[in-house]
Amino acid sequence: MSTETLNVVGKSKLRRDGLGHVTGKTIYVNDINFPDMLTLKMVRSPVPHANLKGIDFSEAEKVTGFVRALTYEDVPKNIYTILTLIGVGPDEEMVLAEDKVRYIGEPIAAIVAETEESAMEAVSRVRLDLEELPAVFDVEDALKPDAPILKDWGTNYFVYEGHHCRRVRFGDVEKGFQQAQFIIEDCYQTTPIEHAPSETTGCIAKPEADGRITVYTNTQALFFTLDNTAIILQVPFQKLHLVGGTVGGGFGGKVDVIVEPIATLAAMKTNRPVKYVFSRQEEMQASSSRGAWRMYFKDGVMKDGRIIARQITTYADSGAYNRHTPYAVTKHAANIAGPYRIPNVWIDAHCVYTNRQPGSAMRGFGVTPASFALEMQMDKIADQVGLDPWAIRFINAYQNGDMKPHRKIVEDATLIEVMQAAAEMVGHDLPEEYKSMSSWARKED
Amino acid sequence: MTNRSYLLPETLEEVTKLLDEYGPEILVMAGGTLAMPLINEGVSTPEIVLGLKRAKLNYLRKSNGIFVVGATTSLTQMTEQSDIPVLREAANAVGGWAIRNMGTIGGNLFAPPPGGDFAVALLALDAELKFVGKNGARVMPLDEFYTGFLTNRMVPGEILSEVILPIPKGSSAFIKYGRRHTNTPSIVAVAINIVFDGDMVEEARVALNAVGPHPFRAKRVEAYLQGKALKEEVALEAAELATTEIEPFTDPIASEWYRRKMVPVIVKRALERLIA
Amino acid sequence: MQAKIINLTLNGKNIDVMVSPMTTLQVLLRENLGYTATKIGCRQGSCGSCTVLINGEPMMSCLLPVEDVAGQDVVTLEGLMVDGELHAIQETFFETFAIQCGYCTPGMIMVSKALLDKNPYPSREEVINALAGNYCRCTGYEPIIQAVIESAKRMNSVGN
Repeated sequence: MSTETLNVVGKSKLRRDGLGHVTGKTIYVNDINFPDMLTLKMVRSPVPHANLKGIDFSEAEKVTGFVRALTYEDVPKNIYTILTLIGVGPDEEMVLAEDKVRYIGEPIAAIVAETEESAMEAVSRVRLDLEELPAVFDVEDALKPDAPILKDWGTNYFVYEGHHCRRVRFGDVEKGFQQAQFIIEDCYQTTPIEHAPSETTGCIAKPEADGRITVYTNTQALFFTLDNTAIILQVPFQKLHLVGGTVGGGFGGKVDVIVEPIATLAAMKTNRPVKYVFSRQEEMQASSSRGAWRMYFKDGVMKDGRIIARQITTYADSGAYNRHTPYAVTKHAANIAGPYRIPNVWIDAHCVYTNRQPGSAMRGFGVTPASFALEMQMDKIADQVGLDPWAIRFINAYQNGDMKPHRKIVEDATLIEVMQAAAEMVGHDLPEEYKSMSSWARKED
Repeated sequence: MTNRSYLLPETLEEVTKLLDEYGPEILVMAGGTLAMPLINEGVSTPEIVLGLKRAKLNYLRKSNGIFVVGATTSLTQMTEQSDIPVLREAANAVGGWAIRNMGTIGGNLFAPPPGGDFAVALLALDAELKFVGKNGARVMPLDEFYTGFLTNRMVPGEILSEVILPIPKGSSAFIKYGRRHTNTPSIVAVAINIVFDGDMVEEARVALNAVGPHPFRAKRVEAYLQGKALKEEVALEAAELATTEIEPFTDPIASEWYRRKMVPVIVKRALERLIA
Repeated sequence: MQAKIINLTLNGKNIDVMVSPMTTLQVLLRENLGYTATKIGCRQGSCGSCTVLINGEPMMSCLLPVEDVAGQDVVTLEGLMVDGELHAIQETFFETFAIQCGYCTPGMIMVSKALLDKNPYPSREEVINALAGNYCRCTGYEPIIQAVIESAKRMNSVGN
């Protein structure tokens, strides 16, 4: 196809929504109002780990404007399993807490009221009967024998096909360590990161005259949200009509189906539009974050810079519930050894539960912490072995046809070419042997 | 909540009358930058709010070597005056443009640390506070105002009406160290004013914020500097001495450890600006 | 307490509004009047997405009771277009991709207008200081800074 026939590719196109943004005409969820609309505010756990013995709404009910409260008993299928449609479990997170809470901010009961003010007032008057339990906040503490257990199946880790972690076993790292001239070890830790979008998570559920419910939402995943909401409410999928696509900042923070099910339920129960929008505090403290990761590296390196053994033990802090973390840990395990050809690799990647905010999707989660740790480790190796950071990577870069530690053949290697281009862009002169390397030509063994 | 009243008295006399009438249930609000966030979140639910915006407490006056600033003078107005440069710097260090337009110098005195940085400049300049109640007015040095975290020597029925400063002699320096270049809570803020006799320190004032329960003067540092020639080694020694007077805390902005580490660095930098 | 009638000028029009005491300008604009360009981001005065101009000065509408703008001149993003034409700042933001999700955009544009009306030739440092009270989570700020500098050029070349 010749370039003359291209009208869009290769051309700068102004954003379709750009005029709306600069004139203020773009409509976000919280800009929408309907007559007789109710506001939903959530009662949340004030403690990290407790048995929920009872809820007393009597004072809340006296607030002018109080309409009703919703508890787990009102929810047709009170399980929120984000990947249930592709058969990924387990079913362990509630939409509304039943007998236990496992993180500060966990949703317990929904209050629906005439105004935002009265909803907030009513929430503040709900009395919770909580029997606090010991809590655990550190991933390694959570795996100790005396740790308080979060999950009904008796562990604080996700079970990967009968194992306590994702495991990669490739070659023999112990033999590699014996042969190596340098052993380089370190531990790397990322912190939880909150997406903090300018627009907080929210939706409006509106019953229509024909019996359907329209849900205006700022989710990043409309179909995902529709399906999960329908499953939780046990209604046919076609009963729901989701309208959205305008997201005031997502970054992965709006892929959890966290407001639509309960708002839609409230709309069904009251037959009125219901708005449920997170406050800034809820967005920062109760919504999911990118979970923290702790990563231990032990590398066996030859004095010419070749890494011949890599042993990695990592702990993902999933927080109180799974959400996307088990999936992220799998991706993580497949990536953390790096785009390098290493003959002996041993990886144990754990998905651990703690009484913290649940982690979920955010911009390459699983792999971004891995890249951070892995590349810091590569620089450290370069430093200890006495090579420059470019060299250590060219020496170890994998090429097409190599075998990755999790036993997939490399087909799309580009590290060498990217480094060559980067070196040129910054004016760094590479030695000839690196300039002439290629991902497609096998290195000499 | 929807029964809330917003009273907007137009004179100081009316203000004190209302304070006396309603007592402690009233919430006093100037610019709203501290009170409104709490009200918006439902943390504070006052029935009666007394607004100071119309009480004519917004003024800058100079006479007989004294500078008098009304309590509801905005931080922006302080950035626009040229009589006292260090107050310009300190006001500019608070929040962003819109917050400075709304926030007042009086209100800033009630901001919990690590906020409330404007006070360090006022402390370094020996500012006094004037309080007015139904029984009259009294003046108190700012240095004696704070008693602890969010506690002070105001009494019920009083309103802060103005800040009084002698036109400063000597040289001043102000540094606010935060995680961002601007619009940031402090890790440590310092203001220094030194009256020199040649290169010798005749009198020093060193004030800090965000490293204790309230803004305060580092009096050991001040005493140490007095009578000494301000050289590199003296600045270093003085800065180290500052760590003996701080009670840093850990908050989402910085850890106690880090604040402790940064105090001598920032104090030294401020002193170095004043070395001739 | 009873609702009050407040008179103010909004985007050039003199209006009377009825509000219960302590209703914020943010709520008045968005819920009572349907002017939703002014956004809600935090209700703490921290994010800047609710920025409006009061007598040409940027202020956080989430912290501003309507009583306090009685008799004042209020301008929101909706008031920026002139005779149906985009303001130079709006046009520049649009054409130079200084926008992504768009949520911070109204606040950014209002502060930029206040800056350029006072200071038609701001330095980069002055632009940054002016925008310091407005958060953007998408663009990394550089496109916005560039757009303000470019807006200044365009405004000055037309002899504004």
